[in-house]
Amino acid sequence: MTTLNAPEDELETWPPTPAPLDAGRMETLLAALRPVLAEDQILTSKADRYNRARVPAPFPIHRWSERVPDLVVLPSSTEQVAQIVRIANDLRIPVVPRDGGTGLTDGAVPLRRGIVVDVKRLNQIHEIDLENRTATVGTGISALKLNERLARHGLFYPDDPASYPCSLVGGRIGTSGWSLIGARYGHTRDLVLSFDHVLPTGAVLHVGDGGGGKISKSSSGYQLKHLFMGHQGTLGIATKATLKLYPKPEAELSPFWSFDDYDDAHACVGALARAGVATFSGAVLFDEHKVAYLRRDDEAYIPQPHDVRALVCAVMYGYEDEVRAGGKRLFRIAREHGARYLGDEISEGDWAARHDRYATPLHGRTKDGQVIPMSWHCEDAAVNYTKVPAVSKAWHEIIADLRRKTDVFDDWGMFAYTSADTGVDYLTEIDVGIWEQRLDADAWAAWVKAKRDIAAVALAHGGSISACHGSCREGEVDLVPEELGRGFEVMLDVKRALDPNNIMNPGKYLLDRAYDEGVTRG
Amino acid sequence: MGDEQPHGPAASAPYRFAEQHVPPAPVRVSEVAQTTFEHVYEVDPRLMQEHVLQQVFPNWDTLRIMRSRGDHLEWMHRHFADKVITGSQLLAEVEGEPQG
Repeated sequence: MTTLNAPEDELETWPPTPAPLDAGRMETLLAALRPVLAEDQILTSKADRYNRARVPAPFPIHRWSERVPDLVVLPSSTEQVAQIVRIANDLRIPVVPRDGGTGLTDGAVPLRRGIVVDVKRLNQIHEIDLENRTATVGTGISALKLNERLARHGLFYPDDPASYPCSLVGGRIGTSGWSLIGARYGHTRDLVLSFDHVLPTGAVLHVGDGGGGKISKSSSGYQLKHLFMGHQGTLGIATKATLKLYPKPEAELSPFWSFDDYDDAHACVGALARAGVATFSGAVLFDEHKVAYLRRDDEAYIPQPHDVRALVCAVMYGYEDEVRAGGKRLFRIAREHGARYLGDEISEGDWAARHDRYATPLHGRTKDGQVIPMSWHCEDAAVNYTKVPAVSKAWHEIIADLRRKTDVFDDWGMFAYTSADTGVDYLTEIDVGIWEQRLDADAWAAWVKAKRDIAAVALAHGGSISACHGSCREGEVDLVPEELGRGFEVMLDVKRALDPNNIMNPGKYLLDRAYDEGVTRG
Repeated sequence: MGDEQPHGPAASAPYRFAEQHVPPAPVRVSEVAQTTFEHVYEVDPRLMQEHVLQQVFPNWDTLRIMRSRGDHLEWMHRHFADKVITGSQLLAEVEGEPQG
């Protein structure tokens, strides 16, 4: 592997990880937890802890041992979570919530060790309210398992990330996640009406519009729900949530079209999204690098002719008569933009696979074409429609620069997904294969620099660092104060006010600055 | 194989080790891929010689993996909606419309 020469000041800027709890503190912690939890709710084995040290995002393998928590707990009620957090706060031991562990910004990674609170046992369905169309669930349930139950009633909870089978409701709240079909149904912030939330001191808050419950719109008081979504576990742990439900769609349509030119595809996706078709649930633009990658390694695309250089897919859900009528309108728009329909097999198969991208075994290539094992990562941003081409070009140049230096990174192309029903902005993502076994300090530093550069491009084009994943990893997080401006100082004030001892997922989002000496309040 | 024994990969078909380890002759489909069974694409073996070595699968396992993917996608469709509207139907209707 080529040795990278990153500037010294970019190699490692994060504080060293504290040592594991010594025997005395561990015994004190266990003695405090045992009256609260059963024996099988406290996990201390090496395997249990190492398996909860990382998420699917690229990981500095060479530093795995620094991210291992001291122990893991599996609470089964809000009260147990509250007691665990109170104990942690009293003992000044970090607490890190972990739901599906599918996040791509390290929210569930215990950077300072401590207690990982794995919420998978909070997986109860407490209530399905057929009249008001809500479900109240523990945050440890996945949308897939919930929807299996809801289907008996003809209902559906339409939060649909690419980790649909394995991500959990609580993680979606902690990330304020983005949904593939959000252009019709909204994203997690729109679908979660209210939730029980354990604050960093162990107090329990019910948060939602007004006093919470099943209200979808209130103008009473501060709108606190959004504050407690997307904090990546730095402001507490959601334990029980009330969700909006919809009729299970009668029909699905997901046409894929090909183009011999990226600009034509970009024009077409914009027209589809702006058409105002009520059943339009989302559209995706695949760029030339993505098509090249798929033609390398995806059986659906390998036989595609070489003049296929960009793709667009649109997806619709609703009653059959609505979907048929709206679908024909989209086909007319696609025809006006020179689109070629890719056929039913690819259209239906590729869309169905989009709900479950985490199950895909992945490999990439060295520059001479040899297959290498790679993990997948995508860097995302929120970008206005008109800026998508420029951002795409700049991002590919950043990854091309990495690849010129080393085979550790491979450009797997870009998608741009509609976020809203008007086509105003897109979740743009660049997929990057990473040969994790070859990661070392130099390669990691180069990756972190690339992430920072990718975030800077999004901001330079008037976008946001992330539409979905969050922005608290090394590299991108450096630009969060720039993005939020005075808002970042408000974040510090809120963090310090709610978590006076910095025990809740410390080390994330530069929030340690809230506790620096000399920081003034207000 | 006797007449009473059904042909093809059924549970009651006889298992012959040698048969299972002789895949159909590969056909090149691109610079980097080949196909054996219909719709079963494989990386060109010349590109899996250094860092990841190609594994040998018995035929039944190759087909099982392919069919499992099909099952999985079918399940996803049913999970998200009661039926799938095929784009080719709508395309035919749109192409049949007078253009003006």
